[in-house]
Amino acid sequence: MVALTDALMMVMSWDVLLVMLAAAVFGLFIGAIPGLTATMATALLVPVTFFMEPLPAIAAIVSATAMAIVAGDIPGALLRIPGTPASAAYTEEAYQMGRQGLIGQALGINLACSVAGGVIGVAILAFFAPLVAEFAIQFTSDEYFWLALLGLSCAVLVSGADPLKGALSMLLGLLIAMVGMDSVSGQMRFTFGIPELLSGISILPVLIGLFAIAELLRRLPEVGHAELPRPPTVTHPFRGVGKQLWRYKGDVARSGVLGTLIGALPGAGADIASWISYALSRRLSRTPEKYGKGHPEGLVAASSANNAALSGAYVPALVFGIPGDTITAIIIGVLMMKGVTPGPDVFTGDASLVNAIFLVFLLANLLLLPLGLLAVRSARHILSVPPAVLYPLILMFCMVGAFATNNAMFEIWLMLGLGLLGYFLVENDFPIGPMILAVILGPIVEANFMRSMIKYSGDLGMLFDRPIAAVLGSLALLVWACIVFAGLRGARRARVPLSS
Amino acid sequence: MRINDFLLGLVMALLGAVTIWGSRNFPSMPRQDYGAGTFPSLIGAGLVLLGLLLAIRGWPQRRQWLVWQASVAMPRTLLCLVVVIVSMMAYVLLVPVLGFPMVSVVLLTLLIGWLSGGRWWLAGIVAGTATMVIWLAFAELLRVPLGLGILHGVIY
Repeated sequence: MVALTDALMMVMSWDVLLVMLAAAVFGLFIGAIPGLTATMATALLVPVTFFMEPLPAIAAIVSATAMAIVAGDIPGALLRIPGTPASAAYTEEAYQMGRQGLIGQALGINLACSVAGGVIGVAILAFFAPLVAEFAIQFTSDEYFWLALLGLSCAVLVSGADPLKGALSMLLGLLIAMVGMDSVSGQMRFTFGIPELLSGISILPVLIGLFAIAELLRRLPEVGHAELPRPPTVTHPFRGVGKQLWRYKGDVARSGVLGTLIGALPGAGADIASWISYALSRRLSRTPEKYGKGHPEGLVAASSANNAALSGAYVPALVFGIPGDTITAIIIGVLMMKGVTPGPDVFTGDASLVNAIFLVFLLANLLLLPLGLLAVRSARHILSVPPAVLYPLILMFCMVGAFATNNAMFEIWLMLGLGLLGYFLVENDFPIGPMILAVILGPIVEANFMRSMIKYSGDLGMLFDRPIAAVLGSLALLVWACIVFAGLRGARRARVPLSS
Repeated sequence: MRINDFLLGLVMALLGAVTIWGSRNFPSMPRQDYGAGTFPSLIGAGLVLLGLLLAIRGWPQRRQWLVWQASVAMPRTLLCLVVVIVSMMAYVLLVPVLGFPMVSVVLLTLLIGWLSGGRWWLAGIVAGTATMVIWLAFAELLRVPLGLGILHGVIY
């Protein structure tokens, strides 16, 4: 009870509330603009959170991402262009509702279901995370090694159509993580005599480079070539929303739970959760033939799932320190910069912080309602901001943000290099998600492996000696077998020309 | 800009080989086979193995080294790439000399003016306002030493 009161006091302070509000408005803006994702919003926020205490930093990222996912629904419904990938599953449904004169209701359903899904996700997170943490407290370096490796492997497997390119992207991320002083032996690695690299590559330029600069390079040539059409005016948001929600209450509950579970899986995030929930809802529906033609049921299911997934991804991130998606990878990076190592110990050692994080989640999801309404009302203005103005501002913000990491221009060079690398990789269908997870998880995998090897005098077989470690290890090896198999199968099938 | 998988695979494999070569002298832990070189070598081996797999997969497409698939023409894309690179280089090299406010205003004006097709008034106003906001937020509020450059002598 004391921990809960302390947590409430921590959250209800002016700085946290103000930061949440500002971050939510920022997320709203980024999410509503097609092409700018929730991950990009997080990457752009990190330089500012760098100067905050752990709780406001997390509060900022949680509010911004939740709001960005909701705001991403707006251009989907108005223009048939999803604002973020998480809205893509039901863009057609919302747009078709708009064509039937129900644009207000479509956006109202998006908003209300996002809040409902988000609250379900938070409830599951708050209930299960401490239980899992209690179980995880018995974990040793063996389990952590396998768990981190399993997280990486699953991220590769679900990263896209080509697991082989996902695996290569992950290896590049691990290579980036190897630069600097080895945490176990103190050996300098791949520093090339550059003093700035002695402490390793800072996470901030990596994040901004891979997510913001790479995306900017991809979007910039389109400026002036593809202008957005003028969006229609939204009238009567929320009219008839209550009735639809009551009618499809089962879909809300099912998608909320399913979204949270999918979010908790390593590598799977809000976009995958919304696609799966949409497909499942269609399969279980009494009227599957109406899907894709402006049917609210699909919208209810998928909108609930993507926000629930955001909360779900925090279960492995907070309990094990193993990120479930790119956003939680960034959160872990931010917490580590602040000297807080996520893991079961945080639950016992700093229960107030954990409870405060849960409260922040709840508050961020409740904030979606008034701010989402504001976003719907101001959608026409947000969508009319010309990219010719926006992109140079993002570029300037990236440079200042990277510099602020260590007050060194070297970070901008790093960001540029990684931005170019990210650009070429994405252009050639290499997913970036596994790379960023590898940058965060690389040192965790290595340090736990070395700890185990020191403990067992180099006997590799001992990594399977403990029962949970053996299960996790077998799963990790199985996932790798799938990756190699998919790569080999792809090699056999590659008989098509490059241009197709 | 799609580059042939055969070529990409070879580059990855080469990077892996260089990584293994670069980690050959990292010392092992006392009385252990493992050490600072273990993981880099494993990563290098993974890059070689999977890179070669990608190269084998891309072998049937080896005649087409590069394919342009984007909706925007190649010269425009390359120009944008060069502009971003030059902008960043200009920022890094000029801010220590001229100071953040001056470089930011000029750079933003040029970029916005160019991208908006010559709306220089808009560019100038946005650049001035954005520079002021960034300066207030980062230099004044967060105490990031963005630097005044030659303006330091003018102001103080």
